[in-house]
Amino acid sequence: MEARGLSRIWPRSLQGQLLLAIALALLLAQGISAALLYSAQVDRRNDALIHTAAMRLMPVARRDEPVPSPDGPQRRHPGRGMGVQALGSFTVLPDDRRNTDGEAELRSWLAAQGIDAAEIIVVQRRVRDDPLAQRRLVQRERGGRKAEREGKLAPPERVMLAAVRPQGQPQWLVSRVLVPRAGFRPGLTLVSQTLLLYALLVGVIAVVLGRLTRPLQALTRRVEHFARTRDPDGQIEPQGPDDVRRLIVAHNAMEGRISSLLDEKDVMLGAIGHDLKTPLAALRVRIESVDDDAERERMAATIEDIVRTLDDILSLARVGRPSDPREPTDLSALIAQVADEFEDLGEPVTLAEGERIVVPLRPTWLRRAVRNLVSNAVRYGKAARIAVARRPDGIAITVEDDGPGIPDADIATMQEPFRRGDPSRNSATGGAGLGLALARAIAEQHGGRLDLANRRDATGAVAGLTATIVLPPA
Amino acid sequence: MDETANPSILLVDDEEALRQPLAAYLARQGFGVTEAASAAEARTHLRDANPDIVLLDIMMPGEDGLSLCRHLSESRAIPTILLTARGEAMDRIVGLEIGADDYVVKPFEPRELVARIRSVLRRAAKGGPAAAEDEVFAFEGWMLDPLKRRLTAPDGALVPISSVEFRLLMAFVEHPRQVLDRDRLLDMVQGREAHLFDRAVDNQVSRLRRKIEVDSRNPTLIQTVWGGGYMLAADVRRTAAVG
Repeated sequence: MEARGLSRIWPRSLQGQLLLAIALALLLAQGISAALLYSAQVDRRNDALIHTAAMRLMPVARRDEPVPSPDGPQRRHPGRGMGVQALGSFTVLPDDRRNTDGEAELRSWLAAQGIDAAEIIVVQRRVRDDPLAQRRLVQRERGGRKAEREGKLAPPERVMLAAVRPQGQPQWLVSRVLVPRAGFRPGLTLVSQTLLLYALLVGVIAVVLGRLTRPLQALTRRVEHFARTRDPDGQIEPQGPDDVRRLIVAHNAMEGRISSLLDEKDVMLGAIGHDLKTPLAALRVRIESVDDDAERERMAATIEDIVRTLDDILSLARVGRPSDPREPTDLSALIAQVADEFEDLGEPVTLAEGERIVVPLRPTWLRRAVRNLVSNAVRYGKAARIAVARRPDGIAITVEDDGPGIPDADIATMQEPFRRGDPSRNSATGGAGLGLALARAIAEQHGGRLDLANRRDATGAVAGLTATIVLPPA
Repeated sequence: MDETANPSILLVDDEEALRQPLAAYLARQGFGVTEAASAAEARTHLRDANPDIVLLDIMMPGEDGLSLCRHLSESRAIPTILLTARGEAMDRIVGLEIGADDYVVKPFEPRELVARIRSVLRRAAKGGPAAAEDEVFAFEGWMLDPLKRRLTAPDGALVPISSVEFRLLMAFVEHPRQVLDRDRLLDMVQGREAHLFDRAVDNQVSRLRRKIEVDSRNPTLIQTVWGGGYMLAADVRRTAAVG
């Protein structure tokens, strides 16, 4: 479930994956740098607070100023912060945050001014736990900062208390400084910076990637085209970075090799055809001198069988590279012609009436495919019923028979070359088993497919086989 | 059918295994046969003699059959039948376009070859090839190309027809608006598949109608003439082949 969700957002292309990886890395780097920035800023603020507290404490501790009364701070400048309070003891509340770094800092500030502190405690206390700070806040609200009045900046939540007991004195001197809210918004800055950097990087990388992926895409399209058509023309020019360029050069060389192998195969098959058909022709002439008519007919039939098998083999080898173009053809008339051929031989073939359908196709090839299906039907299935019809998925040529069908497990392998329902390859059942393979190859040559399915009657028993060539709609 | 007795044949094929029995068979059928094992030998022979017909193998070492065929049709006007081992449609059309009168695909039925020889000789006796080489017959938007044996519907779609249907249609377009009775049609159509065609002419006509009539039950192009036979009820133009 999760993996599927991930794979949906995970881009599949090289370009997408690279851009996403860059975005993630950039976000991480920005996060780290923002965290560092934030902690530096916090340190700086704390230093400032300690410094303020130290400046207030120093005159009192040096006794330049009178020690304030324990019940309230002495005010020299009313309205300017909270004065120093003198207390007999200083208690740390449970919610206070002790700042030991601040204590060390304060101690060194005081020491620099010749004040030796016996004890120092620095805490951050919630404003609501400290009545003096609360009172100060109320005063500030009345005449206080503009930004806080207008509600733009939230009022301070904490107050820093710096308590010092100078050496040889019994009482604590306590200074208070309100801790301003952080004006720093790490989230927003992070996102906007990241976006800016990302936009810049994407711009640069898209150019580089384009140089890399464009030739790769062209190569992919070329490979797909070549696999489909085996057309040696239209090879792509080597382009892009060196690695891709070499890939294209190597691919072109391989294509050339495949083409020449296919050409050699065609030439070889042509030669085989010629070399076998000439002696067969001689044999066919010679049997005319056989006086026994029945014997001569049987010889002629045998020769015809050999020729048909030879034609099937040659066709199967050539089916991927037809030399004739497709032309709009009356498919109904073509099917009728095949049906008529079988009818003339006295075979039980029926053709369903249907509308006239014109499709671009290669008549010689498609005729052979349909002929093979019908021939199988009458040979193994007692009878053939042929129909042509438009269907939503294309144009369907169906050939039904009343035979035993094909065991479900064998339906896929039955379409491989040299495969027959009867494994004995007994010539009494005829054929070299090329018929279905050739029919399928021809259907594919036309961009279609061959479907084989057992037809069942009401009781679920197999009533026959239905072979369907589905051609793409015109 | 008044072909000359003992027409002479020049048989050109490099394969002795085929040439000798074929020559013997043709001789038994009443032809005077001369053999040649190569195009060069055939040319030598043609200098002294004038055969009625040439049977020519396409694939031969040295000068091939197509080249000799072109020479024959350009200079001598001797009817030619090509013998080819390849069955692909392109080869057939190429063969016919360079001036051959017919072709047979190896291995052929010897009787069929004889039927074709007689048919070509018959056409030659009537004066030249049946139609000028680049002519097609046009009727009611249909086009029949005798050379390529192609029938094209008014919408441009190729309509596959059998060789019997082709010859039947040829008979009709060569005699438009004439009543052709069954015997005459049988005579004009009969060729190689004689054993097929002694089935009724009516059957072939109805097959042809299924392919070219809008409604084959109410035919308008090929009409049945009561008590007579059939008639092509359309005007036929002979035009130059397009494309």
